[in-house]
This record gives sequence, structure tokens and C-alpha cells, in this order.
Amino acid sequence: MSNARRKISFQLNGATVSATVENHHNVVELLEQFGLRGARESCGQGLCGCCTILIDDVAVSGCLQLAAMVDGKNVCTIEGMQKNGELDPIQQAFIESGAFQCGFCTPGFVLMTQQLLDRYPDPDDDQIRSYLSGNLCRCGAYPEILKAVRLAAEKRKSAATA
Amino acid sequence: MKANTTQIGRSMPRLEARAKVTGNTEYTHHLKLPGMLYGKIFRSTVAHGRIRSIDVSAARALEGVHSVITGQDILALVPEPYFGPAFLDQPVLALEKVRYVGEAVAVVLASDPHVAESAVQLIDAQYDELPAVFDEIEAMTSEAIVHDVLKPSGTFPDLKHLVGRKNTNIALDYHLKHGNAEKAFAEADHVFEHTFKTQQVMHTPLEPMVSAAEPGDQRLTIYTASQSPSFVRLEIARLLGWQESQVRVKVAHLGGGFGAKLYIKLEALVAVLALLTRRPVKIALTMEEQFYTITKHPTTFRIKSGVNKDGRIIARRCDVWWNGGAYADIGPRVTQKSGFTSGGPYDIENIDIESFALYTNRPPSGALRGFGIPQLVWAYESHTDIIARELGMDTLAIRRKNILREGRPQATGTPMRSAEIELVLERVAARMKWDQPFDRGSGTIRRGRGLAIGYKAVVAPTTSTAMVTIAADGSCILAMSTVDMGQGSDTTMAQIVAEIMDIPAERVRVLNPDTDVTPYDMATLGSRSTYHMGNAVKLASEDARDKLLAMAMDLDLPPETTPVPELFRRKYGMQAGTVVGFGSFVPPYAPPDKTNGQSENITPFWMIGGTGVELAVDTETGHVRIERMINVVDCGTPLNPAIVETQLSGAAIMQIGFSMQEKMELDAGQVTNASFADYKIPGFHDIPPVFENEMVDAHQPGAPFGAKGVGESATFSVSPAIANAIHDAIGLRLTELPMTPESVYRALRILQNKPVEDE
Amino acid sequence: MSPFEIAEPATIADALALLSGDDPDIRPLAGGSALMLMMKSGVFRPTRLVSLRRLDEFTGIAATPEGGIRIGAMTSLAAIEHSSLVKQRAPVIVEAMRRLANVRVRNQACIGGALAHGDPHLDMPPLLAALGAEVTIVGPEGERKVAVADLYVGYYQTVLAGDELIREVSIPSLAGRHTAYQKCTTRSADDWPALGVAVNLRAGKSGISEARIVVGAVAEIPTQLRNVEMILQGRTLDQALLAQAGEAAAAELSPTSDARGSAAYKRQLVKVYVGRAIAAAMDVVAS
Repeated sequence: MSNARRKISFQLNGATVSATVENHHNVVELLEQFGLRGARESCGQGLCGCCTILIDDVAVSGCLQLAAMVDGKNVCTIEGMQKNGELDPIQQAFIESGAFQCGFCTPGFVLMTQQLLDRYPDPDDDQIRSYLSGNLCRCGAYPEILKAVRLAAEKRKSAATA
Repeated sequence: MKANTTQIGRSMPRLEARAKVTGNTEYTHHLKLPGMLYGKIFRSTVAHGRIRSIDVSAARALEGVHSVITGQDILALVPEPYFGPAFLDQPVLALEKVRYVGEAVAVVLASDPHVAESAVQLIDAQYDELPAVFDEIEAMTSEAIVHDVLKPSGTFPDLKHLVGRKNTNIALDYHLKHGNAEKAFAEADHVFEHTFKTQQVMHTPLEPMVSAAEPGDQRLTIYTASQSPSFVRLEIARLLGWQESQVRVKVAHLGGGFGAKLYIKLEALVAVLALLTRRPVKIALTMEEQFYTITKHPTTFRIKSGVNKDGRIIARRCDVWWNGGAYADIGPRVTQKSGFTSGGPYDIENIDIESFALYTNRPPSGALRGFGIPQLVWAYESHTDIIARELGMDTLAIRRKNILREGRPQATGTPMRSAEIELVLERVAARMKWDQPFDRGSGTIRRGRGLAIGYKAVVAPTTSTAMVTIAADGSCILAMSTVDMGQGSDTTMAQIVAEIMDIPAERVRVLNPDTDVTPYDMATLGSRSTYHMGNAVKLASEDARDKLLAMAMDLDLPPETTPVPELFRRKYGMQAGTVVGFGSFVPPYAPPDKTNGQSENITPFWMIGGTGVELAVDTETGHVRIERMINVVDCGTPLNPAIVETQLSGAAIMQIGFSMQEKMELDAGQVTNASFADYKIPGFHDIPPVFENEMVDAHQPGAPFGAKGVGESATFSVSPAIANAIHDAIGLRLTELPMTPESVYRALRILQNKPVEDE
Repeated sequence: MSPFEIAEPATIADALALLSGDDPDIRPLAGGSALMLMMKSGVFRPTRLVSLRRLDEFTGIAATPEGGIRIGAMTSLAAIEHSSLVKQRAPVIVEAMRRLANVRVRNQACIGGALAHGDPHLDMPPLLAALGAEVTIVGPEGERKVAVADLYVGYYQTVLAGDELIREVSIPSLAGRHTAYQKCTTRSADDWPALGVAVNLRAGKSGISEARIVVGAVAEIPTQLRNVEMILQGRTLDQALLAQAGEAAAAELSPTSDARGSAAYKRQLVKVYVGRAIAAAMDVVAS
């Protein structure tokens, strides 16, 4: 079926890229074409958050996005978070707080934390829980993730005043 | 040894931390091999039946399909394609019979996984249905027999005695006799008997199970998300009739395991598919398919105690039935290993234990974080609370009265050593301020508190080996087959190497398991690695260090003060050379007597876990809100306290899911909620707002730097602590898991003599 | 998933032409979160999806002169959640959003899709029905308006034909109204509702003058509790009235058993939560 695939171009972590995609492929499959593995399909239902990506600066589940629909969009993944090889303060906070075990869900939590802190720079614990309640960690690192988000907020604040 | 350690007890971040937060960790999930075919599995729709026909013609004809393989096709390559760690009972693909809904019957291979998935829909299988059995108690006497013949595997020493009983569904019956329970029951002031049940749940690692195989010249490489690479090599070689050295098993970091990724899961299937097609083959399960692959045993536990009026327990009888599903997997070990602690961490002089591993037509059950212990503690610690309340005793006081103290014989006769049961209990009580008044609420919201304590022995006897390589600059490489599935073993083992070699742990590189390179380890399971592999790693490091010292002596250099790079330069004339240390560890162990289960040394070490809970119950709806949870464990001396802390909260949170939320629902054997939409694991809002962990001050003799396993300890007591707190709040005793709002509400109505009338 | 065609019309006329009145394998694609789940599970294997994302007249949130709000069907739930206009004129919607699915789904899902999907376990249908909202539907015959309360006819069934689209939803002025949405989950804290109760009351010194109560998730379609509404009429709120309303609600509904609870249990939840929702709307504590 010739109309079952198309050529798309989009921004991927700041670079313009193009790809040929099948209409029935999702964005996680698209990102695999670029060798990116930070967004992973796990539950396949948008419930666990392992495939979290940002499209036009908004977090979505990559497994529920048709690849064809990112044509012309700006896609950011965990791989785009480091600046000049330096970890983002959120990533640093996750390491310092030991906020993961197996790490499969971690990129999703980190990206969601970025979105959370962009919207609420000084979140209380309820805001953190609510914002991250759509991400699942089967290793159960939630107490440490909560600490990491608090620490990340502190790091951002001190970076802003420095 | 130095007086002060520098690398042990250090809460350093995981070695792979940076890779994990940047999304760069390489999981088998991501593996792509040139020319690779994707396999998608066609599964049984009946719980028990003879296969009449499998029509794969339409699937084979679909454009893009490479091939469709059934069990019959495998026979050409492997005449007896059955595997399993206890019994060789599981076919690579169903042969003649299917034994549960979801069993793998055929595989479609295609370069495009979407094509393979579409083709699976085109396969049509017909079955002559047989009577099925799903309940473990019914399985004891059912006319429906799941397996006509049983062949023990004989792989593991602790399972060598397995026979299986013909024309029954009993895979293993385990018996323990200690003292004279019958006589003691007759003498007891009170006798209490209760029955408790647990449900079927699934591990749901977020990296779903995945394996790939790549054929070579008289060789096969298997890439797999496995907790047991050494066993995979052994079992695949056995199946193929090959040398172990012809099979290479490579394991990356795992996106969670929890016992799901042990022994053979997809490895045998991808191995035969790769050899049949001469192409690399990968099978990655979906979250849904994991529910058809391995689960946790549902159980029924009838527990009976003879108690004197002062609260002293003098007799106990435990009857435990383990629902193993269609294939035994490691169920017999679960039955046996957990069997002898069924009576709880109490000093009971007369005890009888009967434990049965049963086949049913459910998806198979295996190991899941705790190896059966959480099912047992659920029963015996609920039972303990009921006895206390019936006798008008405080629920802490009855435990203090009966607790199994250091030096006293356990039910197997083994004297307790280095098991801080009493200390753990006292720390839970102290942190809960048990002696202080507690606000039990009023109106429709009632509050309660509860505690529980459990213990576990480690699997024995088992072997771990490790190899430490020192480079000429003094940096080290650790080669071992322990799998880091998130528990942090790479980091803690590197800390052991670093401590011995007197370097920062960051200078230790830990190899991923690769059976061509990393030496044998029994498996990463049952909280055994810290102690067993930890000892092997320590021995390997010491071996390497001793070789360095000998090298210094040979060169007439002061052994303690010469820098390692200097040693190598002097020996080889430049920065060159390698020193290799090897360590092998098998702990002492005395197997139990076959008839009465008695042993002088039943376990290398004990794990202790206690939990305290404060909660609130909405009496109008049955919703339970856990407000505070405290988990206290004896894990010896923690090697990396931060990692241990995460293991404790992680274990407890997983068990909160199994206690309050999770249950595989079955309809005629079909799992009806095999997805995260309908099978709800704990999220942020399901965990208690106040969450505390404590490691008691302890030291395990014979362990590396006093450390022993901890991955499961915080699972033990969570369920009964919650049930006991619910009882404290509303006077209601729940005997089945999970404790959902509806089950709490219904039980409350029964208590009020106004049972809910169904519509 | 199997191959299919994606069409991206730029006009409503083109979109309608690409849809089909009777081919179930052709469907409009809005946010796509629900549709993707159906496609991935194999429940829906389309031949063509008609994306609505280029239809500019389908987006945006605007104030109406009457004090209400108009929301384009392709407006994301997140845009509604964070709209200052919605917060000012219909804060109950903002509140409900906080426990609806998760942040990513709210970013992706659109209000039109959430209403057109017909899944009984959603939060917006009962809430918007209680608020008296109506949708504007475009189709080959032109436009028509349907109250959200009248949109549903059965399990995953709406009055929408295969070639009709929701263009916008309009919410009337809620000035002087007391509103609340109470959601009850039973399998985990965050889940689709086992029960959702939406309350919209007008009350003054002489008591409640107008009441609309709609319950979601207990039956195949959102259900308006007319008996409860009548009981509340003209009454002043007290604990006895809350209890009476709960009893009446439980008697009036016929819940269906499902994975989130048995019929009998849901009846109890209705009894409790109707009282709690009314109390929340009137800002009193139910006991």
C-alpha cells in the first residue's frame, strides 16, 4: 500500500531530521531508527511513562503517538537533555538521591520532572505526586524519586540565583 | 585487613547511574542483529486440551512471513524438547496437549514484527478439550490430571530427590516433624485454626521478557534478559546435546526481574528457532504476554496452634498448598525452601508441616521476590494476631513471649545463629511507639495499627565463582555472572573488590554476564548474591592481591607500600601484564532428613523483616489508606546503605501492590486483566505518605564484611501488618489477598450481620 | 498494528467527505490516545484514519457573552486544565482534570474525542452533562446541537453517525451555581473511575432551587438522577438530606458489575458519593 507510508521531517533534539515511516508505526519505533533508546515501550498503553517524550515541549507517551504525526514537530527525548556533555541538574538530582534501581522507567521520570519544574518551580509534595502519578516504577523507587524532585527544584533555584 | 574500611558502607551512586539517567543503558530490549527475524507467539485459548490440529497455512501465506513453527517442527532438531529446573515438564512449544490458556503453541517469524503479529491472527488451532483444574485444593483430588508423566530434571542438588507422583497433580510433597505436635495439641489450653489464601499475581518487570539467539558455526549465542545465565547455558546445551562451551549466553542490565526472568523462559524457543531458520531470532513479549509466562503461586494455608493460657504457643500444624500452574518451574523449591519456615519465627517445640506443590491449568508459578515467604508470613502473622486478641493479649506481647531467640532450635532443629529476630521486632515496636496511646478515630473513618515479623532461609547449597583481573595501572575488572537487574549488585560487588584492592570502587569495571567470559554462578535469586557472590568476589580479590604481594616479594619490593603500577613496571619493564584472581564459594550446609525435615545446618544465613503500619479505614466504602509504614530488617552490615534503603522501600511497595491491589483475574483459565489498564501496580498515590526503613545493627559471620541478602526482606511482613492494622481499626479479620475496598466493605457488612446482597 | 492510510484534510468539508457513514474501518483521529489503544490491542484495525488536526475551527477556548465557555473539539484536556478562563468560569472542570488519567494523556487527548469515544468510564461525559453543556456536531447535513446529556445511547455508542464530528462543546454560564465532581477509584488511587458523581446546584436562602446530578461509570451511559434532583428541590441542605439523597440515588440507579466492583458494591458507593458530592458542591462536610 503506497499510501501506508510517508516521508516526514521534524526536529529531533534540536537537529532537523527526516525519516520514512509506516503509518502504523509509533514514535518509539521511529526513535529506534535514530538509535535512540531512552524512550522504551513497556506497558504499551500510555500508563507507565517509560516511553515519555516531548512533542513541541509537551510530554506525551511515545507509544500512543503515530510516527507520521510528528511531521513538522519538535521532538525532544532524554538524549537531548544533556548540555555540552553536562548532566541536567534533574539528572544529577536523580543520581544523588538514588532515585532508580533498574533504570527502565528513569528517562520518563526525568522528563516528567523537567515538565513539572517548568510549570511549578517550587512544587509541594502533593504536586510532585500528582504530576508523576502517571509514571510507574516497578522497583518502587518512589520515596527516592520524591527526594530527587525536591533536590532538583533546589538545584534549579540555586542555579538561577548563582 | 585494614582496621577501617573505605569502600564498604559507602553510599556511592551506582556505577551505571549516569547511563541510566541519560537513557543510554543498553537493555536486551533494544537489541537488533543484522538479518534478524522477529517471532510472535500464537497461544492456546483453552485451559486443558489435546491438540487436534494447527492450521498455519493462512499465516504462512501472508506477505512478509518468513516461516511458522509449531512444536512438531522442533522435534526434528530436539527429540525431547522439554525443559525445567525441577521437572523436565515444559515443552518449548506445546506438544500433543495444551495445559493453560496462553501457552505458546506456534511462532510466526518475520522481519517486520507487525507482519508477524498480523499473521498470528490467521492461525487456527483446534483442541479436544479436557477437564481442567484451577484451584490448588481441588488439584489434590481432581480427576483432571495436568501431566501424565513427570521426569525430574536432576540439575540442582537441592531438588535431586524429586519424584512426582503418577496420576496425581502433586509435584512435590514436603514434610517436617519437630517434637510431638499431636500430644502437645491435646495438652494445650486453647487450639486455634484458621485458613488463609493468597492470589495469583505477576512480577511485571517494566522491561518485558526478551530473548534473542544468533546461530554460528557449531555455536549459538543467546542474548537474554535473564537472571540465570549459567543455568541457561547448561539447559540449552542439554536440550541440544551440545557442549556448554558451544553455547554463549550474554546478559545486559535488566529492566527489573523480581524472579520472572529465571531459568528458561524464551531462551529455548529462540535457540531452536535460530537453529531451524539459521537466522538470528528475537522474541520480545508484550506486557500482556508476561502474564501468560510466569506468576506468583496462589496458596491456601491452614494453620493450627495449640496455646497455653499465658500465650505460649506449644504446638503448631501447617498445611500449605501451592498452586504451581501448568509447569513446575521452580515451584518445588519454593514449596520446600519456604516450607520449613511455615511455622514462623517462633520458638515452638512441637511442629508438623505438610507442604504440597500442585499442578493446575493456570499460567505457571515460579519465584517472585520472597520465594513463597510472603504467602506464609501473611498466614502465620495474621494467625498470631488473632490468637492474641482471642486471649486478650497485646499483639506485641504475644510475639515477645514466643519469639525464636538466638541459639534456640528452629523447626528443622538447626540452632538459630546471627538472626536478629528479637531486635527487629523491638525496633518496629519502638519506632511505632507501641507503648503509647493511639488515636483510633471516630465516625466513619477509623484508624488502626499493626505489626508483623517474618524470616527466611537462603537457598542452599549453591555455588558462586568470580574472577578479578588487575591491569597494569591498578584498575580492576570483575567478571561474574551475577545479573544486575536493578538491585545494585554491580556496584556493591565493585565495592568489595575495591576494599580489598584499596582503590576507589569507581576504578572497578564490572562486566555484564557473558558465559564465554564470566564464570559460573547458580543464579541471581533469593537474596543470595551478596553473601554467595560477595564471598566469591572477596576470595577472587584476595587471590589477586596475594598474587601482587608475591610478585612484590619476587622483585624484592616492599609488598605493602609499593604502588601497583610500579610493581607491573618492574615486573614487565613497561605498563604491561595482567594479574588474575579467582574465587569460588560454596557455603556449608546439611541437607534435611527426607522423612522429618531435620537438619543441623539448614541455611547459610537467615533474613529477617518486620513491618509496622498505621492506617485509616473509610467504613462507608472500605477504602484503606496506609498513613505510615515502617520496615525494619536484619541484613547484616550493609555494603551500600543507600542501595539497601531503596531495596527496602522497593520490596515493601511491591508487596503493598500484592496486598491491596493486584490480582490476576481468571475466567475459565483465561486471564481477563492482563494489562496495566486493568492490573494495577502501585503508583505514586498508592504508597504511604510516611515511609521509613531501618537496618538493625548486625553482622553476619562468614559473610563478606558482615553483609547478607536484603532484596526480599521488606516484602515478608507487609500484608499481615496491614491486615492486623485493619483488624485494630474496625475489628475485622481479612483472610484473603488482596484487601480491596470491596472486600473490606463486604467483610464489614458480614461483621455487622448485614451481608451485602448481590444483585 | 497493520498498515492503513492517514488523511489530513484542511477543511471540514474535506474531512466529512473522507469519513464514511457506514464503514466502521474509517474513523476520525483527534488526540488519538484512545484510538491508539484500540488499534494496538487489535480491537480496531482501520483502513483509513482522518486526522482532524489541521481543522483550525476545531480549536480554542473562548468566552461567550452569556458568561459561558466554548471549547473547540480538538482542544487538549491540558489546555482546558490550564485555561484561566475555565478556571474562572468552570473551576469544577479544572479540579476534575487533576485526577483524570495522567499528565501525558491530558496533553494528548482532546475534549471532542473524550466526549465522542463513548467509553462509560470517563470523567468528562457525566461532568459536562451535569453542567448542561452541549456539543455542536457537523455532518453532511450541516450542523446540529446535542446536549452532552443526550449524546450517549449505549456502551461505546453515541448519537454521532460515522460521518459526523463534534466541532465544539459549549458550557453555559455557571454563575451562582454550586458544582462538584467526585471520583471514586477502587483498584488503585489513579484509575478510571469506578464511579464519578457530578453535581450542579442553584441554591439560595430558600434552599436548593435547581439540581442536576449525573453519575458516570456505574452504567453503560452517564445517568441523570432525576429522583434525587426532585428530592433536593426546595430543600435546605443538612446531614439528613444528604443521607436521603444518597439513599434515593442508590435506589434509582441500576449499576452493572465490572472489574471495578460488583453491582451491589457500586450501589453502596453511589449512596456514599452522591452525598459527598452534594456536600462538596455546597462546601460542607458530609458525615
